[in-house]
Amino acid sequence: MKKILKIAQREYAETVRTKTFFIGVLFMPALIVLAILLLSKAGGKSSGRPARTIAVSDRTGRLWADVEAAFRRHNDAFPKRRFDPARVDTPAGEADAVDTAQEARVGDGKLDFYVAIDAAALDGAGAMRIYSRRTISVDMEEISTVGRLLNGAIFNRRCAEKQLDPNLLAGLRRHVPLRRVQVGAAAPPGGVQSKQEQIIGMMTPFFFMFLMFMGIFGMGQHMLTSLIEEKSSRVIEVILSAVSPFELLAGKILGLAAIGLTAIGLWLASAYGAARLRGIEIVLPTGVAAYLVIYYVLGFLMLSALLAGIGSVCNTIKESQNLMMPLTLLFIVPMVVWFQLVKTPDGTLARVLSFIPPMTPLVMALRLSANPETSPLETWATIAVLAAFVPCVIWAMAKIFRTGILLYGKRPGLREMLRWLRQS
Amino acid sequence: MIEQPPKAALLLENVSKSFGDLRAVDSLSLRVPAGSIYGFLGPNGAGKTTTIRMIMDIIRPDPTGGRIEVLGGAAGGEVKGRIGYMPEERGLYRKMTVRRTLRYFGSIKGVAARALAGRADEWLGRVGLADWADRKVEELSRGMHQKLQFAVTCISEPEMLILDEPFSGLDPVNLDLLKAEILRMRQAGRTVLFSTHVMHEAESLCDFILLINRGRTVLDGTLEQIRSHWPSNTVAAELDGPTDFLESLPAVEAVRRDGRCVEIELAEAADEQELLRAVLPRVRVRSFEVKVPSLHEIFVRLVGGEVEEDS
Repeated sequence: MKKILKIAQREYAETVRTKTFFIGVLFMPALIVLAILLLSKAGGKSSGRPARTIAVSDRTGRLWADVEAAFRRHNDAFPKRRFDPARVDTPAGEADAVDTAQEARVGDGKLDFYVAIDAAALDGAGAMRIYSRRTISVDMEEISTVGRLLNGAIFNRRCAEKQLDPNLLAGLRRHVPLRRVQVGAAAPPGGVQSKQEQIIGMMTPFFFMFLMFMGIFGMGQHMLTSLIEEKSSRVIEVILSAVSPFELLAGKILGLAAIGLTAIGLWLASAYGAARLRGIEIVLPTGVAAYLVIYYVLGFLMLSALLAGIGSVCNTIKESQNLMMPLTLLFIVPMVVWFQLVKTPDGTLARVLSFIPPMTPLVMALRLSANPETSPLETWATIAVLAAFVPCVIWAMAKIFRTGILLYGKRPGLREMLRWLRQS
Repeated sequence: MIEQPPKAALLLENVSKSFGDLRAVDSLSLRVPAGSIYGFLGPNGAGKTTTIRMIMDIIRPDPTGGRIEVLGGAAGGEVKGRIGYMPEERGLYRKMTVRRTLRYFGSIKGVAARALAGRADEWLGRVGLADWADRKVEELSRGMHQKLQFAVTCISEPEMLILDEPFSGLDPVNLDLLKAEILRMRQAGRTVLFSTHVMHEAESLCDFILLINRGRTVLDGTLEQIRSHWPSNTVAAELDGPTDFLESLPAVEAVRRDGRCVEIELAEAADEQELLRAVLPRVRVRSFEVKVPSLHEIFVRLVGGEVEEDS
């Protein structure tokens, strides 16, 4: 046991000194902080932008006053998101020439938007065209605002010409909002969630799954690099003259698990720090946190043992990539379907994936943080499956490790490795 | 002749190891007396490294009922700390400093934390690396790396040293240093086992010799015992005068000439004294030497031209 600790200690000290660890540990929190800051922005607090110039060619000849009024009301309500409308005279028969001229102005950047409204627009026919230089993704929101404002103007004009009270009609057509009220353990105070809280509610489970992914998979990589370094520098046989392969394996796993916990601690601290700064509350009941620690430890044991087995038969990182492929794919699956899993944390897909051991920690991190009331029976069942799987993996990998670690030259095939498993 | 000490530092009985279809070690038995220098010889691929790795419990022998006893106990576990092992493939952590390297390997070899710092500095001085203590291993020259590797092997002051091909790739200065340390170890009552495929290194150092080929014992015993089984059949002589008559003598099988020196291969059962008597009346004899067969010659005779002498 003393030797195992010595090895763990060295592994920890040496890994902490490497550049990859340093970058990985610093880079992640930067990413997390950035994501949280962006998230809180998207959640409603809108930022300002310069006023947009918009030229309007009104071919009905009767709309301009209403258009101007609609934009004025908008500008009063959102002074940071102004539009400056201007009227373009369009004498009969010169419509095409006007369009060409205005289109050129938009193209030159002298104008943000140009809108042409067909003559038949007020009669329930025709269309409007809007000209813009930028890509659709950039001004999608602004174009839909313009469309809404112009339609409002057209609606008002129609009412006026039919002598109807626009307020009465608007009252009749009023959209009734549907507000979501969350109940149960994870409910926010007051029950009502803002849009921002809803986004956070979706992102938090992903965050915990991603943390689990980085903690297990990202930190597991150090096992591969450190083993292959020991193998290629031939120091491995000197070590094995002092300790048994099992002691070496155990020491390495222990040291790297400690590294993983250090990194996760740093990441969590930075995430909570950034979230607090922005007034976001990341809610995670302590029961769930305890489960996550269990999943992390089991998941890390499993993956680092697998990587030790892979690393022991490879001479270079490049060689190990072929063997890593299926493992990587298994770990990517939950990341790919995360949205589906967050929406239905107790759906069939989520439940099936929870019982496939390499994915269990990731999927359960997501499910438990999405729905803290996931059935404890099911939670413990997945833990049991994982806990039964881990010793099998360690047993098999220790055998491969013992034989593979001193092999140089061509990497043994899968069939050969299976033969090692059958040997005593 | 050296008295055979009663205690064995290392005992192998009918140990075998196969890799797939290849039988690397085949029912090998050996006994290394405590306090001796034991040469483990054989050509490349004879099974030396495999045997040594089994002694170190790095690989396990086939379960064929063989037995390995190291320093009075089973191989592996606690006994590893009492053996200093230098593998054929030398290697250390490149990014560690020289001092940390010594301390780390000392600590996993079970050297007590109190003794470790002093012990590391002592060995740094002994191999002349004291000025390099805080440099990284990757900065060392090849020769310094070899010295550090030897210091790592000895840091725990083991009861037994096992050196796998210790002389390969050594520069002459390190070669002398290593030989001196091996002799010093024996003087301190420790056991040294080393493998080599270079026979003359073994001849100059070893008390006991085991020759193996294809995983099996070919020769086993002290140098004198081995030589006595292989009587000389060659005489080297320096003669003044014509030597044409030699071929006609009944005791002579063949003659090789090199200036005044001749090398005479004796016929079967011929006596070199008889040859001398036959030569004396005809020419003046400046020297007449009955050549002791070298291990290399013995080995070549035993296994055919399979030995590569590539030191």
